[in-house]
Amino acid sequence: MRIICCLFGDKFTQWHVDNLKHMIDTYSGLKYDSFEVITEDLYGNWYNKFQMYDKFRDGENLYFDLDMVISGELPNLIRKEFTLLDDTWWREEAHTPLNSSIVSWTGDVSHIWDKFKANDTYYLEKYNKGSDEFYYREVEYQTYDPVCPKINMNKLNTDYNVCTLGQMHHVMEKGWTGWWSQYFISSQTLSSPALSWWKQQL
Amino acid sequence: MLKICTVYFGDLYTPDYVEKLFSSIRRNSSIRFQSVCISDNPNVKADLVLPYNHHSDVKKHWHKLKFFSPHFADQYPGDDIIVMDIDQVITNNIDDLIGYPVHDNELVTYGIWWKSLLHTNGGFYKFKSGSLKFVWDDFIENPEYWQNHYYINGDVHFKYYGEQNYVNWKTEEYKAKIIKTPGKWIGRYHSDIRDNVELNKIYCDKFDAEYMILDEVNENIKIVHFTGPGKTIHEHNAQWIEEHWK
Repeated sequence: MRIICCLFGDKFTQWHVDNLKHMIDTYSGLKYDSFEVITEDLYGNWYNKFQMYDKFRDGENLYFDLDMVISGELPNLIRKEFTLLDDTWWREEAHTPLNSSIVSWTGDVSHIWDKFKANDTYYLEKYNKGSDEFYYREVEYQTYDPVCPKINMNKLNTDYNVCTLGQMHHVMEKGWTGWWSQYFISSQTLSSPALSWWKQQL
Repeated sequence: MLKICTVYFGDLYTPDYVEKLFSSIRRNSSIRFQSVCISDNPNVKADLVLPYNHHSDVKKHWHKLKFFSPHFADQYPGDDIIVMDIDQVITNNIDDLIGYPVHDNELVTYGIWWKSLLHTNGGFYKFKSGSLKFVWDDFIENPEYWQNHYYINGDVHFKYYGEQNYVNWKTEEYKAKIIKTPGKWIGRYHSDIRDNVELNKIYCDKFDAEYMILDEVNENIKIVHFTGPGKTIHEHNAQWIEEHWK
């Protein structure tokens, strides 16, 4: 099994990759053969993710965004068919119900890359709000049952052991403290009274 | 604990603004506090320096809003939080200002005496940790929208300005109580001598004073705010600035 993530641009750094690997290795219970990081910045946006469908055409694949919190053992997220998250169980549907913070497939789904790459300028313009709309409109997919909610800043949601930060990814920066901090690698504020207080609220 | 928080970025000001602000507060107050600064410059001096991330969705003065979140800057329930601009000179004892009583769902801000459409002033916010968290929580849901909104709307004349308009709007929307400190505590200074004459006149009329700032600062004034875009302290050489800004 292969775990995949993407690092490009300025918003995320090697710390975020190390942090994801730390949470997977420490809390998720996932056993994997390789941890792959896609770093080639072809588009300057999240369409870069699509490279993984070209690069990894065999075996079991599980992709994570870097702005996640993994706080415990994960259910089986490996899927045979191309599968991603449907967020509409916790948010209103926007331009797409989908969220590709977690994606899984087995074998070869390079047709996704081929379709996009063949008309990438057109699709970048057409689906300029993000790559998830491309999946919604152009690709056959399956969705997970509810498995990954948006972060609740005030309380650890013990029903799910993974959550997405989404717009809240700033909480990964130095200076932010909450229940999530103890799951991150080398939290900058680990010994602070504030973190102790947040831990007591769990 | 009281935390006094500020933001330093870019090159309009120099890093010593932060040190001088905090030093002068300590010199002019008996109230203990922790100094906090969000900064892109490693040379600023504060008890807690947190990184100003140039790659963030959050731009310029809008970083100040982070302090409204109880998750930021090691806040602890019950803490009193003050957020100040760095372009201010402390000229008198400010125990009454930084010790101004505040309760949950209240925002203490400068009672300004010059013309303004707003009820809040971005130079000084005081609140109970987390009690106004909606300011940050609503902003970060769509920072791009809010950071451009007041410029597009014509309320401010510079892109990414309008942070105090937003705080004003949110505190009113959520019906938080806005409490203004006495206006006579605050001086305002301009680089333009004609503007300063006009400001002196307004202050004198309003508070029955003989002057606001001439060679020295009126004894009722605790703090002088260098307001307006591009107004710096270090480019002025008035004697009273030299005396107090250190």
